[in-house]
Amino acid sequence: MADDISTENTEVVLDEAELEIDDAVKKKLGVGFWIAITWLVLVVGLALLAPVLPIDGQNDVAAGGRLESPSMDHLFGTDGAGRDVFSRTIWGARVSLSVGFIAIASGLFVGGPLGIIAGFFRGKVDAVISFVFLSLLSFPSLVLALLIVNSLDRSLRIVALVLGILAIAPIGRLARANTIVFAEREFVQASRVIGAKNGRIMVRELLPNVLIPMSALALLGMAVAIVAEGGLAFLGLSVKEGATWGKMILEGADPRTLRTGTHVSMSPIMVLFFTVLALNYAGDRVRSYFDVRETAF
Amino acid sequence: MRYILQRVGQLLMVLLAVTAITFASVNVLGDPLTNILGPLASVDCTDVDAGLIEDTSTRGGTSQGDCSIIAETRAEFNLDDPLPQRYVAWLGNISTGDFGTSFQNQLPVSTVIKNKLPVTLRLVGMGLFLSIAISIPWALLSAYRANRAFDNASTVVSFGLLAVPNFAMGVILFYFFAVRWQIFPTRYDPSSVYSQVKSLVLPALTLALPLAATYQRLLRTDLITTLQEDFVHMARAKGMPNRTIMVRHALRPSMFSVLTVFGINTGALLGGTLVIEQIFSVPGMGGEIVKAIVRDDTPVVLGIVVIIVTGFVVVNLLVDLMYSILDPRVRRG
Repeated sequence: MADDISTENTEVVLDEAELEIDDAVKKKLGVGFWIAITWLVLVVGLALLAPVLPIDGQNDVAAGGRLESPSMDHLFGTDGAGRDVFSRTIWGARVSLSVGFIAIASGLFVGGPLGIIAGFFRGKVDAVISFVFLSLLSFPSLVLALLIVNSLDRSLRIVALVLGILAIAPIGRLARANTIVFAEREFVQASRVIGAKNGRIMVRELLPNVLIPMSALALLGMAVAIVAEGGLAFLGLSVKEGATWGKMILEGADPRTLRTGTHVSMSPIMVLFFTVLALNYAGDRVRSYFDVRETAF
Repeated sequence: MRYILQRVGQLLMVLLAVTAITFASVNVLGDPLTNILGPLASVDCTDVDAGLIEDTSTRGGTSQGDCSIIAETRAEFNLDDPLPQRYVAWLGNISTGDFGTSFQNQLPVSTVIKNKLPVTLRLVGMGLFLSIAISIPWALLSAYRANRAFDNASTVVSFGLLAVPNFAMGVILFYFFAVRWQIFPTRYDPSSVYSQVKSLVLPALTLALPLAATYQRLLRTDLITTLQEDFVHMARAKGMPNRTIMVRHALRPSMFSVLTVFGINTGALLGGTLVIEQIFSVPGMGGEIVKAIVRDDTPVVLGIVVIIVTGFVVVNLLVDLMYSILDPRVRRG
């Protein structure tokens, strides 16, 4: 188990450095965190309210021409088919955000318990589960997604679930690492001494402690899943029905459209960028706020 | 030595598991027969096989002729054998370098891979080189004056870079450098070595920028820690120039985190080139596997997955071995 030793060493060193640098900001979430949350609330809110907002339907051809530059009528301009890019970005948010959310939720529900079980029981159970995680991580994730999405169907549910499978291993490994740390702590031993069963210890003592770092990872993972949907779109395998951010960027990415209607791809790219940035930043702040030691690869 | 063998054994297991999953999923989720024969494969032969119907091809129904083609094809590709048996047979072939024949154009899969792999490897190689070439000087500069203006600006820039998805980065670079300023070609130009390298600069940069940001963050943190060590103070007291201290003394012991992540990322990179090759129309493995998956060309899909996963596993092994060179303590496992 030599590799364990080496990673532990580097982690300790990392923590000392972090303590000295981040001492001042450590116990605050900071203004940036709240800006990030505001942006996320705004995007989620607009996505949820899309049907009642005064915006064009996602396939409506707007008044005016094709590839029109942004104006007061069309905040993000119109695309190659004359549709309003701003409205489509909001409609796209519905799909892109659902994919991210469902993916991470399924990753949490499968990976979390598996990781806790592996970290709690150790031994053979741990060996098997860790091996599954390692194999999942060795898979080129986009290839796995391609295989499954192509052979099943390109519905929102399948795309999200496939990305969820990909989220199992990283989330599970984090849960396992944290469980190992907490399983030896006094409050867990105390609980065992007073006769608590394994199941109870895992749910009542370990889960709440493992949940916090997992929620930080969930924020980061959601960004990854939203981006992965875009990657699938570029391979022609994203959700079939309706607009998604990935598909919108793809539609505006050919040389001709880029030359005459740069806004068609750049508008969704900006929204995607700010959303990913907000998720990354919020996740990062939550992680250092709760001072979690394991890094989340 | 025992440590190395242990690692190799573990990695072989991973390879087996991953190929088994791929093999099972392409064979269970898609029907290979359909892809070899097209619509013919959907002919219902149960009645013919059972001897209930004679040749009915004249009436446009199920014909015995069709059914014999189906039976031949099934035999030719061993489709009647149980899945585990086919997997073992396939593994045996792979280990002798025989990746089978493409369903699509009857070319040996090894030829397909031989044509496409060099382009992808060149792209990944250039990407890795650029990421290192950018991140090391960048990290040295930010760690040298930590928490000053340059360092703070770098933090913002690298955080921003990490939030740009690779396809978006591709589109942005493509727009500015290929469409607007026309410094680089919009399509892959295979005419000469120079034009090939030139065509790969933008895709390689797309791969490199987010990696460079990651490595810069990690290396900077480790460098700051190393710079507080006694041997650095010692070197400083001896009157060593700062440049020498940074490059000669501090860099090597600060490389651990970067190396770990380098290994993980390099594997991911082989898969991640798929999308980028599509944007810049680079004729590599990415385009090939997408084509093969869409057409259910099972042997090609499997062959490419084996290559990608092997690459990932080998890179990780090399990274582990690099540890033991950098830090002798690891060897005493």
